Amino acid sequence: MKKLLFFTGIVLLSACQTQTDQTETQVASDNPFYQEWDTPFGIPPFHQIKNEHYMPAFEKGMKENLAEIDAIVNNSEAPTFANTIEELERTGKLLTKVQDVFYNLTGSNTNPKLQELQRDLSPLISAHYDKITLNKGLFNRVETLWQARETLELSNEQRKLLDDTRKAFVRSGALLNEEQKAQITAINSQISELTTAFGQNLLAETNGFELVLDKSDLDGLSDGIIAAAAETAAEKLAEAETDEDKAKYKDKYVFTPHRSSMYPFLTESNRRDLREQLYTAYIQRGDNDNETDNKEVAAKIAKLRAERAQLMGYETHAHFVLEERMLKTPEEVYDLLMQLWRPALERAKTEVADMQAVVDAEGKDFKIAGWDWWQYSEKVRKAKYDIDEAALKPYLSLDNVLNGVFETTNKLWGLTYTELFDINVYHPDARVWEVKDKDGSHLGIFIGDYFTRSNKRGGAWMSSFKGQSNLDGKERPVIVNVCNFPAPVGDDPALLSFGNVVTLFHEFGHAMHGILTNVTYNSMSGTSGPTDFTEFPAQILEHWASEPEILKSFATHYQTGEVMPDELIAKLLKASKFNQGFANTEYLAASLLDMDWHTIKGDEDLKNTNAFEKASLSKIGLIDEIAPRYRTGYFAHIFSGGYYAAGYYSYVHSAVLDSDGFEAFKETGNVFDPELAAKLRTHVYEKGSTEEAMELYKQFRGRAPKIDALLKVRGLDGSTD
Amino acid sequence: MTILKTFAFCICFFSGFVAFSHPQDELVILEIEHGQLDFPDQKIKAEYDAALKRQRMRQLAAMPSQERFWLFLNAGIKHIIPKGLDHILFVLGLFFSSLVLRSLLWQVTAFTLAHTFTLALAALGIITAPGAIIEPLIALSIVWVAVENCVFKETNKWRPFIVFGFGLLHGLGFAAVLSAFGLPENNLVASLLAFNIGVELGQLIVLFTTAALLWLIRKKSWYRQWVQIPASLLIAMVGIFWFIERVVS
Repeated sequence: MKKLLFFTGIVLLSACQTQTDQTETQVASDNPFYQEWDTPFGIPPFHQIKNEHYMPAFEKGMKENLAEIDAIVNNSEAPTFANTIEELERTGKLLTKVQDVFYNLTGSNTNPKLQELQRDLSPLISAHYDKITLNKGLFNRVETLWQARETLELSNEQRKLLDDTRKAFVRSGALLNEEQKAQITAINSQISELTTAFGQNLLAETNGFELVLDKSDLDGLSDGIIAAAAETAAEKLAEAETDEDKAKYKDKYVFTPHRSSMYPFLTESNRRDLREQLYTAYIQRGDNDNETDNKEVAAKIAKLRAERAQLMGYETHAHFVLEERMLKTPEEVYDLLMQLWRPALERAKTEVADMQAVVDAEGKDFKIAGWDWWQYSEKVRKAKYDIDEAALKPYLSLDNVLNGVFETTNKLWGLTYTELFDINVYHPDARVWEVKDKDGSHLGIFIGDYFTRSNKRGGAWMSSFKGQSNLDGKERPVIVNVCNFPAPVGDDPALLSFGNVVTLFHEFGHAMHGILTNVTYNSMSGTSGPTDFTEFPAQILEHWASEPEILKSFATHYQTGEVMPDELIAKLLKASKFNQGFANTEYLAASLLDMDWHTIKGDEDLKNTNAFEKASLSKIGLIDEIAPRYRTGYFAHIFSGGYYAAGYYSYVHSAVLDSDGFEAFKETGNVFDPELAAKLRTHVYEKGSTEEAMELYKQFRGRAPKIDALLKVRGLDGSTD
Repeated sequence: MTILKTFAFCICFFSGFVAFSHPQDELVILEIEHGQLDFPDQKIKAEYDAALKRQRMRQLAAMPSQERFWLFLNAGIKHIIPKGLDHILFVLGLFFSSLVLRSLLWQVTAFTLAHTFTLALAALGIITAPGAIIEPLIALSIVWVAVENCVFKETNKWRPFIVFGFGLLHGLGFAAVLSAFGLPENNLVASLLAFNIGVELGQLIVLFTTAALLWLIRKKSWYRQWVQIPASLLIAMVGIFWFIERVVS
């Protein structure tokens, strides 16, 4: 209890904590990051970690890391795999330790102090990693080894690690001459400035628009939505400084182009004119010809990336990126996307027709436009697929669903779970389980943190507090799933929607990837594979959640114990194909736009970004009623950071894999087929990135992936419902 | 090794059918799409308290029944000593009413029966009562018994019935504490019983300790003037203070 209270103190009072020199020295001596954790299973001692422990630990961690690198570089012995590559694996222990805790908590249990630290740390961390990737002495040792790779008698795993390590250096420019390197550095810093500007502009554009409404403008909106809009207005009123501003927000209702505010409005509001205003504001972000316009910024970023790729010897940025992915060339990506595009677009067109029929039946005289989609698709959904969420939820209590996912992995791989009630982690809603293998041996720790709260980021994710490695003894992982399911009211159990259930299985699939992993080197463990592969282990698990047989095994009514009726299950599964035309079309349009931006050669005249975008979208025949999920001006995934550039397609590629992979189980007639389950475990969940992802997939599936199963799952195979 | 782990941890954001991410990028994207996090202190505290209770309920549900019995017994005792100062004062109020063992016994029995009754009803969810009304009334009940001690030399006949009525109130007060503490659904009756036994034990400890302290002077002629009345007045004053405090808040 004392610990818990103490911990509450940390959470609540952290913002007010002040640091004096005296406490700083005191803190240094008992900084928990500097000590060996004698906690059960190496779970971080959260109750001992205070806000002021992070910065010193980061600084010390970076310093130690650089010293370790220097020691490797200055080793007088000739480079060997052991004294270079394996030693590298051992570096940065303290930094990893503090990073794992810090970046987990900034997502799941943050406070103003952590947020501030996060902003301060960001440039320090990236400068730190630059020092390592640009270390010439280090690269020379790696390169020497790589040149001699055939004579080193390495295991497959070691060979892949050597290849990957060398490639990481080469891809940051290690093989270039000094002049080229200087060019790359210049380009990188320009890109970095531009991507930052892109993000700032977008933030300003998103925050810059608001729909301020009177009571009379709220036609159609439900009470919860109105209350949220009133709250937004109240916040603005509280921040208002001038009398004019105060008058503007007094007794008003405010909607913004943030999705959480916009989607409910577009769905419920009966004021078509206002829907148009909000929707237009959303899709025009970054395209308003003002000082926060992003058109030129985006074009410049794409152009600089193309230049950089060419300096490195690649045709385009997409070629540079895809070298490391499962799909190796832009042609393969375009091919995949276009195979889906045509059926998706056809489906979207029938969805428009369905909605138009509703408009006509209502006796209204307008043609469906983008801002009508949410409202009218909801009307179609109600008519065609209506399932009552409220009737569904009592069957889906969190505990039942957890039992369902535990049972699924038990039937697949014999895993068992024991909840540990005496271990407190960073928040009382975060639950801890020990995961054991079929033979009873310890596999890892699973932390499930499922309920939404004010200091948690939106979305759902998997992450780790401790990685897996077999290098110096067996290190087993500590994995966490964080979700944003609504917290239960009072003493009732938490009840989930079916969407939540799928999310839970999805994230649990990632967790399995992190827990079953069994590799020698931590850097190749768990989810370290290429972007267009790592979603596969997560997404394939979702399929088990939708299998009627499994659904019935866990979906029992929390009060009556009754199993979910077949009729309800059938409706539920049918509804999963609802609105797939729209969802796929907007996503694929954005993916294709991403590919178009990153297959430019760098010498095009890109003054007119809108013309480029328009050409890109009309080429594929996108209909006016749908905008790409992200237009250029707000495509933050690809322009405000680089990770998704020529990579937004990854989601659907993983979907091809999971649909095709699950089809393999269906083909055997047993969704728990032991032989196939064993293959899935050994070739996918255990392997991390120790082999090429495509090879891993083929070893599991016996062949390369095919797209057919995905088309069927998404209702894009032309079959009628 | 850090070069290969540029993406130090894999965050997989889930939106519709798409899912994936990279931390730094996603943070930017999320801030833009969902707005920045703000930190409403009171809300965070309320959420944290609710989570603490959920955690305790899970722990309770998983506990062996014997361990759980002791835990609730303990909680019951603790709710009298040291946490239940208002209940201690009430019981002392009863004590200072009479030195006739039979009268005292009747009062304590009435009090116990009454609070057991309402505690059970409230814990089983059959009745509910708002703390804003119950708590000030509990304070008043203390004032009542204490004042009565000063007015009447010997307890009157209807005293046990009044005490029974007050006991009903105190039971609702216990129920509020128990509900904050949480009752495991799979073990409701046994836990309720254990808590109640704990409360009785706490009550008896208070009575016996006071009796032991005052044993030698109870027959003195000045007992009423110098002990019974001043002590009762003091209890009444504290009760009044609590009443005002509870009404104001």
